[in-house]
Parts: sequence; structure tokens; C-alpha cells
Amino acid sequence: MTRGALDGIKVVEFANMVSGPYCGKLLADLGADVIKIEPLDGDPSRRVGPFPKSGPHPERSALFLYTNTSKRGITLNLDRLEGQEIFKRLIQWADVLIDNHPPRRLEHIGLTWEALHEMNPGLVYTSITPYGRSGPRADAKGDELTIVHAGGLGNTLPTRSVDVDRAPIKLGGYAVGYHGGLTAAPITLAAVLGRSITGSGQLVEISLQEVILALMRVNVTSARYHRVTWSRVPDRPPALGRLKTSDGYIIVGAVEDHHFRALIELMGNPEWGASREWDSMAYRTHHLMEVAPWIDEWILHERKDDIHHRGSKMGIPMGPMNSAADLERDEQYAARGFFVRVEHPEAGTHKYAGWPYQMSASPPRVKRPAPLLGQHNREVLCDVLGYPVSEFERLRRAGVV
Amino acid sequence: MSKSGLPLQGIRVADFCWVWAGPYSTMLLATLGAEVIKIEGHKRTDLTRHGVVWPLPDPAPTEVKTNQGLSFNSVNMNKKSVTLDLSKHEGRELAKRIAAKSDVVVDNLRAGAMKRMGLGYEVLRKLKPDLIVMSLSSRGQDGPQWDYAGYATIHQAIGGAAYVTGYPDDAPCTSGGDVDLMNGTTVAFAVLAALYHRQKTGEGQFIDYSQCEGVTALVGDLFLGYEMNGEVPERMGNAHPQYAPHNVYRCWGVDRWLALEVHSDREFGALAKVIGKPELAKDPRFATMEARKQNEAELDQIIQEWTRQRDRDWMVQELSRAGLAAAPSRDWRDLYADPHLRARNAFVDIDHPEIGKLELVGMPWKLSESEIDLRRAPLLGEHNDYVFRDLLNLSQDEIDDLREKGVIL
Repeated sequence: MTRGALDGIKVVEFANMVSGPYCGKLLADLGADVIKIEPLDGDPSRRVGPFPKSGPHPERSALFLYTNTSKRGITLNLDRLEGQEIFKRLIQWADVLIDNHPPRRLEHIGLTWEALHEMNPGLVYTSITPYGRSGPRADAKGDELTIVHAGGLGNTLPTRSVDVDRAPIKLGGYAVGYHGGLTAAPITLAAVLGRSITGSGQLVEISLQEVILALMRVNVTSARYHRVTWSRVPDRPPALGRLKTSDGYIIVGAVEDHHFRALIELMGNPEWGASREWDSMAYRTHHLMEVAPWIDEWILHERKDDIHHRGSKMGIPMGPMNSAADLERDEQYAARGFFVRVEHPEAGTHKYAGWPYQMSASPPRVKRPAPLLGQHNREVLCDVLGYPVSEFERLRRAGVV
Repeated sequence: MSKSGLPLQGIRVADFCWVWAGPYSTMLLATLGAEVIKIEGHKRTDLTRHGVVWPLPDPAPTEVKTNQGLSFNSVNMNKKSVTLDLSKHEGRELAKRIAAKSDVVVDNLRAGAMKRMGLGYEVLRKLKPDLIVMSLSSRGQDGPQWDYAGYATIHQAIGGAAYVTGYPDDAPCTSGGDVDLMNGTTVAFAVLAALYHRQKTGEGQFIDYSQCEGVTALVGDLFLGYEMNGEVPERMGNAHPQYAPHNVYRCWGVDRWLALEVHSDREFGALAKVIGKPELAKDPRFATMEARKQNEAELDQIIQEWTRQRDRDWMVQELSRAGLAAAPSRDWRDLYADPHLRARNAFVDIDHPEIGKLELVGMPWKLSESEIDLRRAPLLGEHNDYVFRDLLNLSQDEIDDLREKGVIL
């Protein structure tokens, strides 16, 4: 069996919902040994879903199942001194601590960054919070909807709006959570790699607002210095880009001159296309709207997948707006083996999204399905931390785990 | 405590990337201490060096001078730049020599382009067996659509994120270049994992990256939900399947909006008090999360009656003080003006020799032991001398000769 790229890295994940858990998943699927700590009633994502038709069940939430693959899971009551003691012993075992609680959650049990650093000087402590650990809004609450707007991305959506009186929106799904976890992963790994240079672990601080701001870095500076417009309602009537097909929508990115020439050919060389003026981007910029109704009319009778293939083979950048159902039957995803089958004792066997990186020497894989609530309590306490079985039984009866 | 070195000191990256996604991945490595050498064919330089992001206000130019494009300067900080004519044999040989002196090679040219130039993984690994080569392409290096073209919004569409973004009664929508920066971040993560693997085992590898798949990974819960229950996840605007209120509300003024989300009954009680209607917390229409979700439209109307008469920033302050998640829907001016982002130094001052002073967006992370020092993106060919003379040990005569032949700019 091939080895995982991150075999040997030990991670404690004290995190819930999306950002921290997704960071943990990224490390775990590449081989890191990730122990997830949940409160006794479980990560709230177990209660969020989506669920199978049989209804809500803490072991059948798609959000939890997807974002917690390859981890071991324990439950821990951190309000009990004995629970705190177990937590500290895990900190001493770990290379990395991922935490997406407000800093005061650990600080009030004495686990400040300084205390953690003293307990384990090599520890990389990745702290993900809505607004960061400093500044006037450090204690403000924030989540999926508020952060996508606080970071500037929401204000630009829905793109190509015609109605400025309609409220700006969020990205679909848990985009902020995923982006937060994704951004935390490389910097966490860099901090682990860099221990030989820096001589110790570090506090890695992620502000979700800044994660979104960073994604908008080009838009923000272009708006300021190039006076590019920033609005969900564009300054010019939009042509091309998003088009409606008989069965959905497609992005047609005929930006360059040769793309547009190919598009005219794809349309069957309509009369208007004969003019060489269409070969100039400057001309197209101001005249595309004149032919836009014909383009709209033409593509409305095409199917998105079919026109995607025909256009792409002619070199036109195109992409259908795929739903989950479209993705499931996508030939390219299937050919590359993107989706992986995961068997879970309570949720059954399903296809999960895999990884966009295929690594020749150390491929990612799902080592094990997401943990059942408290599934590895005994294994972690006895085998990892060396508690005697009798002591584990006592802690279990006492409601610590 | 004084800060020590950067974590990726001593790592060298040969960067054959252009536009946004690839360059951002290597910029992340550069800001963490790696030496990143950006290699541009001087007949085909990175188009963001002189391009302007659409849409422009007329009559602004669609092009600026080389080196002055803001997207270039935003995603190429801390790098070195060399120019090579990669259409010439000697240019490709020099590129090979730079790669052989590197730990990592990254490209985001069309799938197969590196191979056609004789710079594919099989060639490079012979020169340096533990090399890590990362190729990011639109659909990946293989499969029936390997050669299809794409960029950010196309990847977002294909990957399934656009379909779920938008109002339920309107079209799906893409956002834009943020998708490239997201993919760049994932690429940096995969490269770092490969570096860790190499440190442990001495083994290099090839990484084949699909930008469409990068998008799908971030809607994995929605895809799995569909697999489990057969219901296609649809667009929900600002709504959440369970939480309410969860929306963006009109405030006093022109195009000013407040985002507000409530995740528990306790939070709803606090909200009811702030808007001066404490009785709502006991109202059977709104007392539980389920009831609020059921009567969401009615609730949104009550909240908006309150918000539309008031100042956005004052409301954010009051709601935050009450322990609620509330934020302005910020546009670019709001972002630059945000006192919180200011206090955290989220923007960095860059002195550019051709443009002057610029305030660019900093990194989305802070490290306690390493000082990340952001430096301006390189001018075209700015480090030719360093790379050809100091790194490849070419003599001045050889360099002059290559310049004369047009291999080096």
C-alpha cells in the first residue's frame, strides 16, 4: 500500500461545523493521524444535514460524513477537570491543534497560547475565528452568511443582476467554512514543515473575514486604482457569459478574437457573422448586445452538455452549470475517478467527492469513514494516551467521555 | 518575542504559471519564504502584467503598461522574474536548468503544454529525481475532456458551486476570480504535502490538478446529500435550510445592506429585544427555530421594517454587542475603511517603481513566530542577471550571446 504524504503528523481537532473540520479532513485524507474531539452531544454538523429520506440522524448527516473522513473521534466533557486533563495529554501528544472556537473557550480552562506553547513547544496551534484574535471585532460573532458579506464577496452577488434593489446574496453551501478550512491547511502544514527552521511550533491565526477578503484581493484593488466598477449590476448590459440552454445554463467564454470566430462557426455561420468587424475585441465590446438576442435564441435550443462538447472541441472555453445530478453522471469526473466509494456502518455506502490533486507517490484516500459519536474513546484513551482500561471505564461512567 | 525565519526558507520553485490560479499558488509559497522564480516567455508574458479586470468604466483603457496590471501585482508578490524565449531550443534548455536547480515546478499552461516543450515530468525527473512537479489544468491531464479550455467562472459552473448560488427564482451565478485564488490555495496545500512527503522519504512526485474538481470539493456535503436522498440541492439566496432569520436586510441609504443570522432561540430572544419587540420571542409564530423557518417571510418583513429606517453601521454595532452575528454587506470602500481590518493590518503598503504607492490586500493568516514581509511583484525580467549569472553560473559572454539571439530579453 502506498504511504500517505502526511503519515506521521499527529493532529488534535477541537472544532465543529465546517472550517476546522474541513482543515482536519484535508490533512487526514493525506495520512495525518487526526483525532477529533466532540462534545458529548456531538459536533452540531451532525444535526444539520442534508439527511437521507429516513430523516435526521446524528450518524447520517452528509455535512458531517463528508467533512470528517479519515479521522478518529472521541467525545470529551471539557467542563470536567478530568476531561481537561485528557485534553492536555492529547496536546502533549500532538503536532497540530486545530481549533475553531472563540479563543476564550480554551483560555477559560487555562489553555492560552502561551500555556499550550509551554506544554508542547513544537505544537502548531491553528486558530480559526470569524474576525481573528485581535482588533475591535475580535469577539463579534460571525458565520457563513455574515462573513461572506463582511469579507466583500457577497456584495458582488448575484452577478449580472438587473435590480439593485434586490439584496446581495451569499455563495451557495458552506463556502466560508470550506474556504476557511482550506486556507488553514497549507499554512498549518508550512508551520509544521518550518519547525526545523523556526525551532518551534507557532500560533497560526486565521480570520475568516480576511480569508474572504484575500479571495477578493484583485477586485478590491482594481476597484480602487483602476476605477473598475464594483456592483452586482454591471455598468454595461452583459452579453455572452452566462446563457440559457433548453435544459439549464452554460458559461460561454468567447473572450478572445479566435474564440468568437469559432463561436460564429458553431452557430452555423449566420449572416451577421460574416463581417470582419467581429474579429476586434474593441468592436465586440460595444456591439455584442446587438446580436445578443440571436445568440440567446440560438443556444436556447441547444442542450448544455452537447453544446459544451461541440464548442470545447472548437477551442471555445465553455462550461455547463452542473447540478449535483449532472456531476454524478459527468464523463470526465468518472474517467478521472474523482468520486470515491465510502462505506459507513450507519449511513451506508455512498459516493463522496474526492480530491482535485492526483499525487503519483502519495495519493490521498479515505482511510476510514467519519467516526461514530465517541467511536474511538477507548482506543484513544487507552492505546494513544496509555490510560488503564479500568480508568477508562471509570471516566466513561462518570460522563467525562 | 523576536520572530525567527520563514518556514519555507531554502525551497526553490520554478514557476511556469500565468494569469491567476497558478501564480497565486506560488505566491503563497513565496510569501512563506520559498524562492520563486517566475519564468515568462518574453513573446508571451503573463497577460495580467498589462491587463485590466473587466468591466471598465469608459473611457478607461483596457490595457495598462507592462508591470502595472493590478491583478499581476496582487498575485505575484515576493517572486523573482526571468524572461526566456521558450519557443527556442536554448530557451527551453535554460528553463530545464532552472527546474533542475529547484525543489518544485508548477505550471498552469494548457494540459500537455509542458510536455510539448520538452519540460514534462518524465524529462525533469531524470535531471532531478526528487523533484515535485505540479501541473494545474482546467479539467485535469487525462480523461475525455483533458484538452477543453476553461477559466475561473467555467470551473465554478462545471464544479457545481454556481448552480447553488443565486436566488431560487432566478439564474445560477458565478462569482469570478476568487475561484482561481481558491484553486491556487489548494494547489499550494498539495505542494506542501508533497514537500513533507519528500522530507520524510526523499521521494519526489507528479501532481495532476483539476480546477473543476477543486470547486466540487467545496460543495462535497451537497453532493453527498444528493447521493443519499436523491434530491438535487437548489439555490437558496441568503437562506439556510434550518436557521431563521438568515438574510440580508435593506438599511437606510443607497444600496446599504445588513447581513444577519440567528442560530438559536436564545439569539432570537436577544434580537427581539434589540429591535424593540421582545414579545416576538414568545410569539408562537417565532418562538422556535422550526416556527421561525415556517414563518420566515413574515419575520423578514418585521426585521426589515426596523432595519430600513436605521443606519447600517450603528445596527451592526448594537446587534454585535447583543451577541449576534451581524455584518454590513461590504463593498470595496467599506473594506478599505473597516476599522477592524485596519487595526489588524489586513492591507499592506507596497512601493512600486512604476506605479507608486499601492495599498494591497495582505495574507489571510498570521504567524506568531515568523514575520511575513510582503514585497512587490517583480518587473519583467528583473532577476535575469541573478538567475542566469548567480544561479546557473553563465558567464557574461554567454549571457550577452543569449541576449543577442533573443533567448533572454
